Amino acid sequence: MSDHAHPYRVYWITWAFLLLVTVAMLAAEAFHMPRWFLVPFLLAFMMLKAVMIGGNFMHLRFEKRNLAFMVFAGIMVTSLILFLYIAPESRHVLDRTVR
Amino acid sequence: MHDAAVMESHWGGGAAPFGASWQKTMMWIFIVTDALLFSGLLCGYGFLRMASPAPWPGPSDGPFAIPFIALMTFILITSSATMGSAVGASKLGDHRATLRFLILTIVGGAAFLGCQAYEWAHVIHEGQALTNHAKGAPFLANPWGPPQYGQSFFVLTGFHGSHVLSGLVILIVTAIRTALGKTPAQNIEMAGLYWHFVDLVWVFIFTLFYLI
Repeated sequence: MSDHAHPYRVYWITWAFLLLVTVAMLAAEAFHMPRWFLVPFLLAFMMLKAVMIGGNFMHLRFEKRNLAFMVFAGIMVTSLILFLYIAPESRHVLDRTVR
Repeated sequence: MHDAAVMESHWGGGAAPFGASWQKTMMWIFIVTDALLFSGLLCGYGFLRMASPAPWPGPSDGPFAIPFIALMTFILITSSATMGSAVGASKLGDHRATLRFLILTIVGGAAFLGCQAYEWAHVIHEGQALTNHAKGAPFLANPWGPPQYGQSFFVLTGFHGSHVLSGLVILIVTAIRTALGKTPAQNIEMAGLYWHFVDLVWVFIFTLFYLI
């Protein structure tokens, strides 16, 4: 089993990837990219980092798939519902405050 | 592989549906609930920010130096990698390497917490210096933007920092028990799951609060 021969390799490869992604995010920030590009870019790279930490550091890639599904879907679906439920209301609050 | 066999290997499991010990299953259920706590806090932050009539300070308009926050991120990611290595070493039964990596992780976590304490002190002092009347933390008002800006900072990083602190306590106890030869590999793995979760939450706070 290759995992047995190099028990640390996957962690340090993931570490290097995470650093690269972080540097890319900071570079996008430093070069003042337009917001329509910056925000989706940062969100996509944030999710990429989350998947790498969950998959490689927390071993979800190597667990039974239903555990990974419960964790990922449980958190993502609940968070999306919560956000989409309250986000439109922030516009109404803003309108009322400004007026 | 045959379809039924795939279904069985991914979804079957009988008394252990996740194919994990009950301790690990419970750890995962705890992590999901804790993640939902941060999800709620971050959604609340998003609401406050979108509903704020005053302009929200950009990354370079606030009291933070982004290179310093990047350093904190680097420290936490590195401590996650050393934690992973500790889990790898414990699975091989290498107690010396496990202990060494655990101690490195503790050093990283303590360094991160030190940086966060410095950051809080910096924000509080700068807030006082810029308003020249306020005592205490710029929680209800701050010189950089709407009051919700300071509140979001203290609540988000405060909750995260308290998780780092409790993670450190767990790691120190685990390291002492490892030195005494009392920690089974599974306990190292579960301490690791919690530590990686703390790292995961920081990824979201770093992006959503500091960068966007």
